[in-house]
Amino acid sequence: MTTLTIPLTREKLVRYAGASGDFNPIHYSDHFARKLGQESVIGHGMLTMGLAMRLVTDFAAPEKVRSCRFRFKRPVPVPDDAEGAALHLELEASDPDDMGVITCSLTARVGDDVVGSGKAEVVA
Amino acid sequence: MLVAMPISTEHVGRRYLAEPITVTAQKIQEFADALGDPNPAYRGPDAIAPPTFAITLASFEAVLDDPELELALARTIHMDQSFEHARPLRAGDVVVPVASIEKVRSRGATDMITVAITLDTVDGEHVATATANLFHSREEDA
Repeated sequence: MTTLTIPLTREKLVRYAGASGDFNPIHYSDHFARKLGQESVIGHGMLTMGLAMRLVTDFAAPEKVRSCRFRFKRPVPVPDDAEGAALHLELEASDPDDMGVITCSLTARVGDDVVGSGKAEVVA
Repeated sequence: MLVAMPISTEHVGRRYLAEPITVTAQKIQEFADALGDPNPAYRGPDAIAPPTFAITLASFEAVLDDPELELALARTIHMDQSFEHARPLRAGDVVVPVASIEKVRSRGATDMITVAITLDTVDGEHVATATANLFHSREEDA
């Protein structure tokens, strides 16, 4: 198993919004997030997925990724402070199958909560 | 006379063709920087893109903005996302995003909508497909 812990800060949300073009106000406005029932601004699910996929592209080169999927299980509130939310990411790789494809299982946690999970298929 | 109907299985198969978009080294680097990923493959004039970069070209906004469907971003939750890649996107690719509504499952005031977006180059080479499952809640009647 390989792991990576990222302090998910408001700054990272800002950069990701600009880079991805996702300007949903729930990712930058506490007022808007609270109106929608969140305690505060939440992180982009796609940012969690992109960060989890860093484990995959470090494990097998980026061009070896044939497919990937990720489920956004729980919102990730991101406090407006220096530490942000401690996003803990894990990868477990299978053995190659008969076609030489390795399945990477991905889990994203904040504290005890699984906030997301997914899989990626990479060629050996 | 067209009567707007909220999204239903009648809309499965509806497609939205977008203008061709050019993938640039600058945008790839910006995205890699946003992920904090220092991998040199994502930098320089021949940069390839990280696997989730396809989302920058495969926004489901066209579906949400379709007035006939009566959807709203504020009432939509992105449940999951998948990508299939024939090869990585790379700087210089000119792709045509085509979004299509694959599935609509409605229950009471909620809809589960599957949107698939194919990214083929203008030369017809298939590069990637991005598929999103969206959970939508209908507007409550006043």
